[in-house]
Amino acid sequence: MEKLQVPGNDTNTRKPSWDPLNFSMEIQPKELNSSVDCFFNPSWDNSIDQNDPFESSLSSIVSSPTGSKTAGGHSLMMKELIGRLGSICNSGVISPGIKNSANASCYSTPLNYPPKSNDPSSIMENIFRGGNLRIPGNHLRNNPSLAPLNVDPPFIELAAKYSCFGNESFGGKNAIPKLEFSKLSRVSSGQSAKAAGFQVGNQENKNTRFEMKFGGISQPPLPGNAEFGYSREESPASEHNPGVQMGLKAQSETNSRKRKSTPKGKGKVIASTSLANVVMIDETNEKRSKPDEDSKNEKENTKENADQNESAKTAREDDEKRNLKAPNPTKPPKDYIHVRARRGQATISHSLAERVRREKISEKMKFLQDLVPGCNKVTGKAVVLDEIITYVQLLQRQVEFLSMKLAAVSPRMDFIMEALLSEDNRQMQPLPNGTSNGSSINPLNAAIHQKQSIQTPLVDVFNSPMTQVLEFVHKHCPSSMASQNSYEFSKQLSTFWKGNPQRDLQTGFVQNQTPSFHGQMKAEL
Amino acid sequence: MNPHPSSCSNGRSIRTRFARRFLRALKKIGSKGSSSRPSPRDISWRCRRVKIAADASMASAVGPRRVWSRTMLNMLRSRSHACLHASRLGNSRRPGADRHAVGKRKRLVLKRKLPNRLGLNQVNQLRRLVPGGEAMDLDILLDETAHYIKCLATQVKVMRSIVDYCSA
Repeated sequence: MEKLQVPGNDTNTRKPSWDPLNFSMEIQPKELNSSVDCFFNPSWDNSIDQNDPFESSLSSIVSSPTGSKTAGGHSLMMKELIGRLGSICNSGVISPGIKNSANASCYSTPLNYPPKSNDPSSIMENIFRGGNLRIPGNHLRNNPSLAPLNVDPPFIELAAKYSCFGNESFGGKNAIPKLEFSKLSRVSSGQSAKAAGFQVGNQENKNTRFEMKFGGISQPPLPGNAEFGYSREESPASEHNPGVQMGLKAQSETNSRKRKSTPKGKGKVIASTSLANVVMIDETNEKRSKPDEDSKNEKENTKENADQNESAKTAREDDEKRNLKAPNPTKPPKDYIHVRARRGQATISHSLAERVRREKISEKMKFLQDLVPGCNKVTGKAVVLDEIITYVQLLQRQVEFLSMKLAAVSPRMDFIMEALLSEDNRQMQPLPNGTSNGSSINPLNAAIHQKQSIQTPLVDVFNSPMTQVLEFVHKHCPSSMASQNSYEFSKQLSTFWKGNPQRDLQTGFVQNQTPSFHGQMKAEL
Repeated sequence: MNPHPSSCSNGRSIRTRFARRFLRALKKIGSKGSSSRPSPRDISWRCRRVKIAADASMASAVGPRRVWSRTMLNMLRSRSHACLHASRLGNSRRPGADRHAVGKRKRLVLKRKLPNRLGLNQVNQLRRLVPGGEAMDLDILLDETAHYIKCLATQVKVMRSIVDYCSA
């Protein structure tokens, strides 16, 4: 922690971004390759100066794609960026200075998979994937360096936390990092950042949203993690967070990788699926291979993109629902879901996405079950859907029925409607005195009396079942639909009206139906 | 969908908005008819108008934020335009009838006994019930269904209370 202070006092905002790296690198000597050490240390010392040209170049590269947004431009930019990153990596310095919005998107990508999108984030991700970063751990460590330089003090905090956290985890076991990272959640940052006390300007970047499948829905011990606004659409991903997150995740991944297999020089650690795989591997002790990860990442990226593009808004809602469901008391609203593969479950990307989708759907089904009365006892999707369909049909028929009733009484209801409207208006604004109440009600009462006198010569055939129904309604059904009685009654009503289209308002069917209706009503009673 | 706002949105806002619009529409419909004893044809016409008014006021109270409300508004608008055009051209048949007939034919043709895996039959039925449900994913469909059910329930409550108030 002390180390943080050393360069951190600089007014240069870039400095703090290097702090966690320095700190983490200090703390985990074991994990560092010797080359990394020499790779980084001199670079850190030089830090800012060398970063400038790279920063400018990178920023130019990154920012330009935002303008172009074409597939061709994207590939060109990618290649450019990859080339430049390669050079940067070789030189041992990675420019941290990518400007805000572009950086945000760039940094958001590492955890996403997005080859389809043309934003800088995808470019950056591809860069990270295909970059010539020979030292995975170091490369991963480099990522934080890519974090934008406009780091707020809270970011230092976060970095420090991560460093300590990383220290513990990398000290020996993957369990902790696994747990911790599993708890990471991408949040639509702004609120989460505030909740965490972590200022992140996440809300500006709105490119695409993607789901990060990894880590459970758990309370992040490092609230700053929540700030990593991966959602391109939602949050202007902060520059800092993604970088740090990337770095930390990379670290965990490298750790797990080292345990499982020899780490290769590619830098595709940053994809969230990789991390998810890391988590899953820790849990399930499954074998993992690079090509698998690649394919998984690709698949998941595409799948996620497809999903996200379709259900951007609902994903947010789902996430909110999920978050409410999950045992996270201080969980800020998120834009994406974290999914952890359970023990023994498949970790293929498409099956992961399938599982997420299924969970979303089952969540919504549960919500619908609560909404529809009488659905709690039944189990099984089909039965619940049947109940929902019945209920919707019932409500629609009720609306028809009530509109018929209103149509029957509306000719004489002008003044009543007027009174109702005025009452409604009055209800909107509280009345100063009660006299106006009385004055408005009196004409209404008069109107009602008048209507009642007129009602009898009306089409009795049409009205008789209605009045009977009305009496029944008054007797048994409160205005709310929540009661089981009303629901049952409505069901009866729906069956009664099922075969009766609107045109048959005449005597025929009404009279024919009334005995059966009476029978039904009696049965109900 | 957020369960918390459900109570709020179902509270004063949607309910009162719907109630006001619906009452205004009812007033208009009531004023059109004659106060004398209406014929059954008048009643059926008025019934249809009331139903349309209920749907339209509900959809407009919800606003364009929901898929089903947008679909419903577009449907009503196109139907009214079509009716206007039809009346102008002297065509007495309602275009909606044609649409229903075509839909029915399609349904009869395509009806097949399939194993109901994952409740697909029910899902298709639900799609037909919820306006605009044909072109939605399942998760969006479920969201829209929940909101639709909520709004239908408010609609029923308000209409019932109006009816009770008028009949009391």
